Amino acid sequence: MTTWLRRVWHLLNRRRHERELAREMAAHRAMMGDPDRFGDPYRLIERSRDAWGWQWLDDATQDFRLGWRGIRRSPGFAVTAMVILTAGIGLNLTFFQLASVTVLRPRPVASPDTLVWLYRQGPRERSSGAPYAAARFVREHNTVLSAVLMQTGAQVAWNDSDWVIDAQFVSANWFKELGYDAFLGRVFSEAADGRDAGGDPPAVVSYDFWKTVLGGDPSAVGRTVRIDRRPVVIVGIARPDFPEIELDDTAVWLPLDRHAFFYPTAGFPHVVMLGRLRDGTTLAAARESLRATMDALSRERPGLIAAGTWLEPISGRDNFLPPDLRVQIWIMISLMATLMMVVLIVASANLGNLVLSRATGRARELGVRVALGARRSRIVRQLLVETLPLGLLGTLGAVLFAWAAAAMIRSAAQLPPYLDLSPDWRTLLASMALATVAMAVVAAIPSWKVARQDLGAAIKDGGHQVSMRLDASLVRRLLVAAQVTGCCVMLIVAGLVARRAQRTLDTRLGFEFDRVAAVWAPLDRFGIAGAAARDYWDGMKTRLADRSDVEAMALVTAPPLGFMVNRTGYQDAPGLKVLWQRVDPSYFAVMRIPILRGRTFAAADGAEASVVISRRVALAMYGTLDVVGRGFPLTAPSQVIVGVAGDAHTILVNATDVGELYRPLRLDDHTAATLLVRSRSDPAGLLPWLRAAGGADPRAIAMTRLLRDDFARRTAPARLVSVIVGATGVLTLALASLGVFGVVSCAAVLRTREIGIHRALGAPAAAVLRLITARLLWPFGLGMATGLIAAAAAGALMAGEPFYLQPIDPGVYAAALALVGAAGAAAATLPAARVLRADPLRALRHE
Amino acid sequence: MLILQVVRQQPLHGYAIAQRIRQLSSDALSVEEGSLYPALQKALAQGWLKAEWTTSESGREVRSYRLTARGLKQLDAERDEYQRRADGIAAILAPVKPS
Repeated sequence: MTTWLRRVWHLLNRRRHERELAREMAAHRAMMGDPDRFGDPYRLIERSRDAWGWQWLDDATQDFRLGWRGIRRSPGFAVTAMVILTAGIGLNLTFFQLASVTVLRPRPVASPDTLVWLYRQGPRERSSGAPYAAARFVREHNTVLSAVLMQTGAQVAWNDSDWVIDAQFVSANWFKELGYDAFLGRVFSEAADGRDAGGDPPAVVSYDFWKTVLGGDPSAVGRTVRIDRRPVVIVGIARPDFPEIELDDTAVWLPLDRHAFFYPTAGFPHVVMLGRLRDGTTLAAARESLRATMDALSRERPGLIAAGTWLEPISGRDNFLPPDLRVQIWIMISLMATLMMVVLIVASANLGNLVLSRATGRARELGVRVALGARRSRIVRQLLVETLPLGLLGTLGAVLFAWAAAAMIRSAAQLPPYLDLSPDWRTLLASMALATVAMAVVAAIPSWKVARQDLGAAIKDGGHQVSMRLDASLVRRLLVAAQVTGCCVMLIVAGLVARRAQRTLDTRLGFEFDRVAAVWAPLDRFGIAGAAARDYWDGMKTRLADRSDVEAMALVTAPPLGFMVNRTGYQDAPGLKVLWQRVDPSYFAVMRIPILRGRTFAAADGAEASVVISRRVALAMYGTLDVVGRGFPLTAPSQVIVGVAGDAHTILVNATDVGELYRPLRLDDHTAATLLVRSRSDPAGLLPWLRAAGGADPRAIAMTRLLRDDFARRTAPARLVSVIVGATGVLTLALASLGVFGVVSCAAVLRTREIGIHRALGAPAAAVLRLITARLLWPFGLGMATGLIAAAAAGALMAGEPFYLQPIDPGVYAAALALVGAAGAAAATLPAARVLRADPLRALRHE
Repeated sequence: MLILQVVRQQPLHGYAIAQRIRQLSSDALSVEEGSLYPALQKALAQGWLKAEWTTSESGREVRSYRLTARGLKQLDAERDEYQRRADGIAAILAPVKPS
């Protein structure tokens, strides 16, 4: 048995051992001639205890109990402290959870280390997808992958309705390679669902879809349903936790090999390609081997992929994120984490001050301990351990907070079920680390400060001098400054984010979407192209033109508030992103975009000869709006400007650096166009007619939606973010106000007597008020100044994607500073005023 | 060292250890109870001694301490160390021969 084990054994059996020792000593005394010479057995037992080296544990237990009793004695302080810690740590924890689940932790797939996403990379561009034929070639001609997985998304019509659901066409090995079987029924298998399988194609539906749409009915397995007007058999329900590589919310999976069954004339789409590395294959080896495969492919089928293209394998361990994207995400996460840490620091500084206030009141008690021979280190240890129960309660509260916040975020953001936000051991570990950081500020600083005082002197005057000195200490002021700094940073950033959300939500967007409905038909998927596509839309327009509530209609290639982005740039307008799209002449009328100069397109305009540009583009490129008739672009013109339209960021609603370029529709554009219909009344009334008009042509399925729903969906994240950031800002302000309130209260109580003398001698209230609050002025000023600088830096860092903050916004800065100042003044004046109201004579007698 | 040495020959209880030390040193050394018990506990913690309850010659229940193998090693080490020091001190104190 080693010495250490023996000591633990002793600790576990200590009661028995000490009883034996007492018995032994009693026997010893009985044998002695003069038992009084033996000494105090209790002291001997205590000294014997030291021999086993557990004294520190006894002290700690004692201090812990003392701390616990202290908490129970003053529940007000305990609740305040717990709320502060819970909020500070809990907020950080929630953020840590979100970051961990969405980007830091690998998706829960089987062996993420050997699963790679194959990005198609050329000298200039990178694409997440590749032509299906290329993926098949790689599958058949590589030596480094044991399996190739493919997936391509599509929006499909469910059961012949015009209700659109998200589908994924996947290779037959998709489920098996990701390591998941079915919740009910079966998933796809290469044997049953390969290329040569006949009959109606199989479908696997998601657990959510099964629960909500199919009513959770087990007999749904085996049922025949219709997808994009084709029959499919539901063969299985996916497991509720089945993860999605691209964070989608898929309703139904279909076999990619049967794509032609649905769309016989469409040709195969682009697919996302994943690979399972063979045992022992490194990423570099896979890259080189696949480069040879791709070279062979480009020689064999020159039109399919460009020469020099390679496949870049990105591991599942890196969440399938290429290095540059990873860096971007890390920057974003670090930035947010820093802001959250600011909240924690404010909370801790606040609590540290509270603890210091309490210690101030205990100077006499501590003085007695010092007089009895306690060493300074012992006092520090005592004060540290005493705050431990607080830390534990705070950690517990924070985990509960994170758990509740996760539930709230899940329901508010409608996260897919495979993103498991509930706290796990990582969360617990993180919360303990955070609590340690917090407690270092909360407990260590005050303990150190208190122990450095001349506590022996505290016995003489009841600790008043020591208390006063502590109250006036620099640390206390710096803690206040830290709180004010954090508060300013949070409020300014919150203000900037709110301003940005306001810009997004602003109804003066330069266009009107409220009364517009959109009809979309993926004609290309059904093999309708060219003149046939134009006829399809002409037929639709004719059917709708008779209705009195239809005001105007226009086809467009990139519908407003959608996700289709065609971006370009011109050297004549540096720094400006030009979003271009092709539109019907009536587009400007439908979207209520004013034509500032010239006219919209006319039938005579050649599709490649004329353009309409937005105001921003005109000013950036020509410096004037009077550009009708001039060539476009400025240098090396190839088109003629026929009109200048008002600024209308229909696609990137909140972007600050974009302009628009409109071109006439070509014949080929009709196959992937969207029809916008402006109603004279509520467009929801139009939807049944639009559906009917779409259903009249059996060759394709038309889907309808309202632009205002798109708008709500587009702006939901911005609203959510501004609510969260705003709430955090208010929380920080409340914390800081509480801190100032506490400090001034404490000072006011300590100096009650002094104030009484001042008042009795006839000092005006204002002078006394100044006396109490003067000490807080410079910490406040310092806090505001550093807060301003820090916030400006944070704002500058968040100016780009995806935050798009405007870092220089004097209104926001002024408002935040005014708010902090007002809150601080109120928090300082309230306790001071209470003392002032009191009777001066009573104040004099106060001890 | 003294405690370890006196229990080397035979297991002894606390009172007997104090007595034996006094006796062997002809009353020159006496061990105070105040230091005896903490020292015994330290020796127990280090594993130099083992304690067990026995009945003494006078019929009293007492706790006897017995030297362990580890304790023996410690004793030897301490004795060597003591010897070295004593030799050193003796060399310094040796009467200086007149030159």
